[in-house]
Amino acid sequence: MSIRQHDMRLAPETNKQNLSLKRKRRIRQNIPLFIMFIPVLLYYLIFKYLPMGGLIIAFKDYNFADGIMGSPWVGMQNFKLLFRGTNTVNIIRNTFRLSILNIVFGFPVPIILAIMLNEVRKTWFKKSVQTIIYLPHFFSWVIVGGMVISIFSQESGIVNHFVEMFRGEPYPFLYKEGSWISIFIGSGIWKGAGFGAIVYLAALTSIDMSLYEAAHIDGAGKWQQIRHITLPGIKQTIVIMFILQTGNIMEVGFDQVYMLQNNVVSGVADVISTYVYRVGLQGAQFSISTAMGFFESLVGLVLVSASNSLANRFDEGLW
Amino acid sequence: MKASRGERIFYRVNDILLFLVGLSCLFPILHILSLSVSGQKAIASGKVGIWPVDLNLESYSLLLKGTPVVNGFKNSVIITVVGVALSMIMTILAAYPLSKEYMYGRKLFTKIVVFTMLFGGGLIPSYLVIQSMGLVNSYNALWLPGLISTYNMLVMKTFFQNIPHELEEAARIDGCSEWRLIVQIYLPLSMPCIATLSLFYGVSYWNAFKNVLIYINDTKKYNLSVLIQQMIKSQTLLDPNYIQVEDIEQMTSEGVSSAGIMVMVIPMMIVYPFLQKYFVKGVMLGSVKG
Repeated sequence: MSIRQHDMRLAPETNKQNLSLKRKRRIRQNIPLFIMFIPVLLYYLIFKYLPMGGLIIAFKDYNFADGIMGSPWVGMQNFKLLFRGTNTVNIIRNTFRLSILNIVFGFPVPIILAIMLNEVRKTWFKKSVQTIIYLPHFFSWVIVGGMVISIFSQESGIVNHFVEMFRGEPYPFLYKEGSWISIFIGSGIWKGAGFGAIVYLAALTSIDMSLYEAAHIDGAGKWQQIRHITLPGIKQTIVIMFILQTGNIMEVGFDQVYMLQNNVVSGVADVISTYVYRVGLQGAQFSISTAMGFFESLVGLVLVSASNSLANRFDEGLW
Repeated sequence: MKASRGERIFYRVNDILLFLVGLSCLFPILHILSLSVSGQKAIASGKVGIWPVDLNLESYSLLLKGTPVVNGFKNSVIITVVGVALSMIMTILAAYPLSKEYMYGRKLFTKIVVFTMLFGGGLIPSYLVIQSMGLVNSYNALWLPGLISTYNMLVMKTFFQNIPHELEEAARIDGCSEWRLIVQIYLPLSMPCIATLSLFYGVSYWNAFKNVLIYINDTKKYNLSVLIQQMIKSQTLLDPNYIQVEDIEQMTSEGVSSAGIMVMVIPMMIVYPFLQKYFVKGVMLGSVKG
């Protein structure tokens, strides 16, 4: 590269020739890139963009015989049905409730864990704790849900074994709305918080250690060091993670709800993803469930854009 | 730096709290493990904590003989191995061109790809696409829609971008073709990243649940996740030809479903320590802004 630039400076009259040579070279270099990229582009078009086009059935009365294109248009009727039905409004409310609780209680935990791990002096202890707390992230919700059901089971669960000793009778943790929500949020934190701390730990490594030493010499206590050095040091990461989190606000994980849900608590536990699965796939009501899914995606898109532009105002935006 | 008295107390309390956090992560796993090797009566009375009571392997033998768990295990392995291979190939095919500044339309293509992280068609339209392609009830319905995780692809792209340009230029001057450049320079240098992403893909294929539930109708093709979920929620999968009616009543399903959970957990626990050092690096790579 540098040799050619040198040549160009020496002989300006050959500049044009060089430029077209350069372009030819670039085209030649691009051929293998595009051969590689064609299957990728096809993948995104077929499995990502084609379904987006399929969203039009939210505005249609889809039936199998007429197909996506042939089914009659119904305008906003599906959405009207969604926002007027008591059941569907309740499902939307449940989705918001669970995900907002998830953020309020779940978002700070990885940050706290990362700060705590950062304050451990013995390397072997830090490494062991990290190894253990990352582990639940790799378990599927089938496993975690199975554990939760087993631990809180009314008949033979270990928790109720102790509850019975004090209270005389077992408590139906998974069948009361309040305790179900707590278990739902708690199990999400148990599964994800440890792994979520990795990002913050990575950010913490970039903080200059001499800041802590200086603060120590100036007589700052541990709390002051955390407040004035650690937290500002990972502020940007916190903001980015928060933006990403708000984008997922509507996506209360299907697997988790599906595993933990039961008929008794469906009043608080039925969310958009389980509704779409039950009504759409099992009940074959494609149009109305697509409308629900569309609403979910749209809210997610609006929220993530809004929180990003808000963050941009503080120069911390993601894009 | 000598710690003051206040700081020593801080460190001590911090260590104790983290120790408790670690315990709380381990407890449920140990509890399920001991449930799976405990006697039925002890389980039913809720006496089993993290230590097995009345140690025996009856739950495992019931699981092996009375349920299609072996077949499910085989299916999970097939789904995972083929899925990881396909996903890694596609991820590299996507990440390499996008990492090259001289690629025409690079910015546009990156936008097309990133937009799918923010917005999607959702379950039903995706199902209709897969159905119209005739993929329902085949593993292609599990592999094809999830070929590329855009997040993983961006991690790979960032990694390629951080490989020093000098290497590439030197190789090109020596007359190295684009293909040889990828195979002999980029891929060997990217092994830590490839290992990490393979682990991530592997975990998601091994844990695949929703897609199997949606796209696979043939119970013989079920993977471990769906089999075990059905065992936990009901006992319909127990083979009535093998298990006597009185056995079903006498047997608490918990022992057997705990054994099922362990069958899913154990392979993960075996590979986990080997791959742990990679994924920590991998996540840190991801935190580099692409």
